[in-house]
Amino acid sequence: MKQNVSTSAGTPGIKAPRGKAGTLLRDIIRDKWLYLMLLPGVIYFIIFKYVPMYGVSMAFMDYKPYTGFLGSPWVGLKHFERFFSEPQFGMLFRNTVILAVYNLVFFFPMPIILSLMLNEVRRAKFKNFVQTLIYIPHFVSWVVVVGIFYILLTTENGVLNELLYRITGEKIAFLLEAEWFRTMIITQSIWKEIGWGTVIFLAALAGVDLQQYEAARIDGASRWRQLWHITLPAIRSTIIILFILRLGNFLDSGFEHIFLMITPTNREVGEVFDTYVYTKGMTQAQYSYSAAVGLFKSAVGLVLVLGSNWLAKKFGEEGVY
Amino acid sequence: MKINLCRGVAILMLPALLAGCGPVDGSSRQSAGPAPFRLSIGATLIGELPPNNNVVEQAIEAYTGTELQIDWIPMSAYDDKLRLMIAAGELPKLVKLGYTPDYISTIKAGQFWELGPLLKDYPHLSVLDSEYYSNISVEGRIYGIPIVRDLGRATIQYRKDWFDKLGLKVPVTLEDWYTVVRAMTLEDPDGNGKQDTYGMVLDKRFNQDVSSMLTRISVSQGGPNKWLVENGKFTPEFLTGTFYETMQLFRRLYAEKLINSDFVVIDNNEASRIYDSGRAGIQISGGNVQSWMDKLIKTVPDAKVDVAFLAGPAGIRLPGEPGNAGFFAVPKDSVKTLEEVRQILEFLDKLFEPPMQTVITRGIEDRHWSDQGDYAEITDRTLDLREVKPYRDLLPNLAEYQRSIKPVRQPELYQKNQQIGKMNREYTVDNPALTLESDTYRERGKELETIILDAQTKFIMGMIDEEGWRAELAKWQAAGGTQMCLEYEQAYSSRAAE
Amino acid sequence: MLQDKTIGNRIFDIINYTLLILIALVCVLPFVYVLAVSFTSPAEVARGGLILWPKEWSLASYRYIFSTDTLFRSMLVSIYITVVGTFINLLFTSLMAYPLAKATLRGRQFILLAVLFTMLFGGGMIPTYFVVKAMGLTNSLWSLMIPNAISAFNLIVLKNFFQQIPDGLEDSARIDGCTDVGVLFRIVLPLSMPAMATFGLFYAVGHWNQFFSAILYINDSRLYPIQVLLRQIVILAQGSIGDTSIDNIEIQPLTIRMAVIVFATVPILLVYPFLQKHFAKGVMLGSVKG
Repeated sequence: MKQNVSTSAGTPGIKAPRGKAGTLLRDIIRDKWLYLMLLPGVIYFIIFKYVPMYGVSMAFMDYKPYTGFLGSPWVGLKHFERFFSEPQFGMLFRNTVILAVYNLVFFFPMPIILSLMLNEVRRAKFKNFVQTLIYIPHFVSWVVVVGIFYILLTTENGVLNELLYRITGEKIAFLLEAEWFRTMIITQSIWKEIGWGTVIFLAALAGVDLQQYEAARIDGASRWRQLWHITLPAIRSTIIILFILRLGNFLDSGFEHIFLMITPTNREVGEVFDTYVYTKGMTQAQYSYSAAVGLFKSAVGLVLVLGSNWLAKKFGEEGVY
Repeated sequence: MKINLCRGVAILMLPALLAGCGPVDGSSRQSAGPAPFRLSIGATLIGELPPNNNVVEQAIEAYTGTELQIDWIPMSAYDDKLRLMIAAGELPKLVKLGYTPDYISTIKAGQFWELGPLLKDYPHLSVLDSEYYSNISVEGRIYGIPIVRDLGRATIQYRKDWFDKLGLKVPVTLEDWYTVVRAMTLEDPDGNGKQDTYGMVLDKRFNQDVSSMLTRISVSQGGPNKWLVENGKFTPEFLTGTFYETMQLFRRLYAEKLINSDFVVIDNNEASRIYDSGRAGIQISGGNVQSWMDKLIKTVPDAKVDVAFLAGPAGIRLPGEPGNAGFFAVPKDSVKTLEEVRQILEFLDKLFEPPMQTVITRGIEDRHWSDQGDYAEITDRTLDLREVKPYRDLLPNLAEYQRSIKPVRQPELYQKNQQIGKMNREYTVDNPALTLESDTYRERGKELETIILDAQTKFIMGMIDEEGWRAELAKWQAAGGTQMCLEYEQAYSSRAAE
Repeated sequence: MLQDKTIGNRIFDIINYTLLILIALVCVLPFVYVLAVSFTSPAEVARGGLILWPKEWSLASYRYIFSTDTLFRSMLVSIYITVVGTFINLLFTSLMAYPLAKATLRGRQFILLAVLFTMLFGGGMIPTYFVVKAMGLTNSLWSLMIPNAISAFNLIVLKNFFQQIPDGLEDSARIDGCTDVGVLFRIVLPLSMPAMATFGLFYAVGHWNQFFSAILYINDSRLYPIQVLLRQIVILAQGSIGDTSIDNIEIQPLTIRMAVIVFATVPILLVYPFLQKHFAKGVMLGSVKG
């Protein structure tokens, strides 16, 4: 009996036998309550996510609000062809990808490192205090963050730039020089989101059995070894899942943030798909064209997600599905 | 668990509570006369949300015999929401539109009532300066009632005390501008012994749209307003010599550190903070100089500010502006009969009557302003901002000199700015392409504009030289600029032929 | 226990604590600035610069905020959609995540893939609006709670959390005659408090920050949540996003803008400290073994 009830996915080796219609029916009857529980969610996804999916067709027509989906003419791949042959395409693609890679390399690991640091703190009060402070910037909008960076870094009496001037005798135009653009974007992202990012890892770490640490200590394992053998494995699957899901939005750069930071002097490195789509869609009302760009971004995301998930499974991880 | 349930119920009851904040429908306001005309309006919300069912709205309803249902839509999402309403066929009876390619094409598709032929029946709508209408016409026809604003607003506003101290005169030539800005940056006009002032401070939108500093100065020096038309040939302003010289002026100012080095990143708020705290001396602005003065004296009590015409060697010259903050149009989707269109026009016509203009611009007597004999005096700024401003932003209001309403008591300086604004109308240089259509502009106008605006900034900052500037111009031409000129020329000649 | 006192450990602790304090200070800086400006007199703010402690105190901005009921009303709306919305979210998400955590469930992979797909592809604003309208939700607060009842991201990560719960207890509950529904509510959820707290927080913050869907789905401005008003007052003033054809709009002074930010942010900031006890280490496994 005990073998027959559903087992945790932590042990993927044990699976119910498949293939025969009889067993399929028996499995479904066995899991009837589970299917019942799935039902509201499945209905939700069908109604609110899959029914509107016909909107994707916008990318293949010349959509106008007053003619709607039924009255707008089909144009096939016209918008995609235009997008790929746009002289700016190469620049946009390069900027978007570089920024996305920077994000994965420099931004993504930061909350993990910070959670591990917090995990090493034994005093609960101190830990709670730090946690409460570091997640605050998440609630400050980009406009305010960019405004504060202006006050700190402008070449006209900027607080940090004055300091720099006193030390080195020179000012750096952080906010307008192209070479500083990506550094600024990543720094601001880390500043705003690092604390917020730790929440999910701290939740995962809450599941670690304290007795494991005790046992390790008795065995004489150093803190590094404990980190490596107990803490990291406990959040590994969360890290992997977040990484895979992040790849799905690989080409999203955070429009509002970039838009606020872009200037004529850094546009050559700052213009990304999202800002381009804004210009096209919002200010020039090219809905179909914007939809086509969006679809392209999604398709890239899909390939990355499926690929990375496949890879994760190859290495024996659970992955997303 | 039980406690949680109680809480849950209390929370679920909340909407009823919220709805109880004010009358939900207009039925509680019954008037003796005929049933009021129900009018829904799609409105842009520019600042704060006005209180629900406030006195200003009530006054408008009572005067015009309507029952208004205003959907306040935040400006940042207005176009999205309108697009949705168009797609869903849920437009209100009156919507605010902007004169943009998107809406123009919707109008051309026959989604809105043509109003032009009906206007003659409305005493106020028919006497409006024809330029207000022609600036929003589509294929020569009128589909909207402009939310009118001044047609020519630019004035030179400067620190009179600094000018007197340094012996400066209001600039006329480009060389004058250089002298004035230089003196106020280097010669310590505020006398604090520190070099902490700027003659002029630019912000990151200094060269955009109608308020472009480059356009304003270039026009004053005899340049065109955005486009030059010669023998039917269209040339953009930035290909003219005057404009290039204007750019050179700023390039020189930047190189000699006479303007703020961070103008590329500073937003207009921060920039006006520098003016308001007495650290900058001259600007060209479309607003009234009095508001600068009011803020300035809080930090520099003995400051003096003055206002002058924008003028060049050939006398007063300034760029003409569209003269509207959008326009109201009547969708065919929601308004089915001509009779109803007429009712709406009647409502709009009434808004131009003096009592309504008073309410729209000034609010309710003894609440927002009080009658001081010859003048009106604004009594409560906060209430004014909260209850009157949304309607002032939304509804048509004529410049003060055009109305027959009691002027606000304002210092001489304010009146002077008003007077200049009134006379400015005779000196405006129009943008010949304002109502012309171009497919290239519709498809890639913004990109083309960005190429040029960026190049202007880089040129001023010395990042590119004349050769680099020419290269950017060539880029603009190749990316569609030349094509756009041709399309404007075509549209221009076909309009002239009509 | 001995090696806890080695020099290496000491040094590690000192560095770790110092770094954490520094990070906390840097993170709290923007909010201190916002808070300080909101309490500063406009005259001091006009002089510019970074204000971290007001020299000239002023409560004028807060008096302005509290002089109208518009901001209060929208605050109530926000609290309502956040509380009720988050409850709906957690219920629906855990109901769906639990079966999906069972490796033997037939069709599980297909459903997960279908859910993942919605993270990448969406029908867009207009078709979604039609669905919301067809369900009769427009112009009611339900339009801000039902159409986003389940976040695919949270669902997938929660499913992953559920998978890490050992089977022992679930199985014994089943032997005691519990159905799967009973197991979820009596065993799994109580054991998953850290996860519930986390996703509750994610959902709550998501609801709190909603503004765009509120503008799209709601016509009656009395039902606007606080973020719509906040953005009206703060973002517009920055003049960066929005209509470029208007210049010289009368905007609120910086002090009032900052006070509105404080007013609209503090309620949601208070949520986290209350949830914190659920992140205490070892809660979950301790009880499993006990």
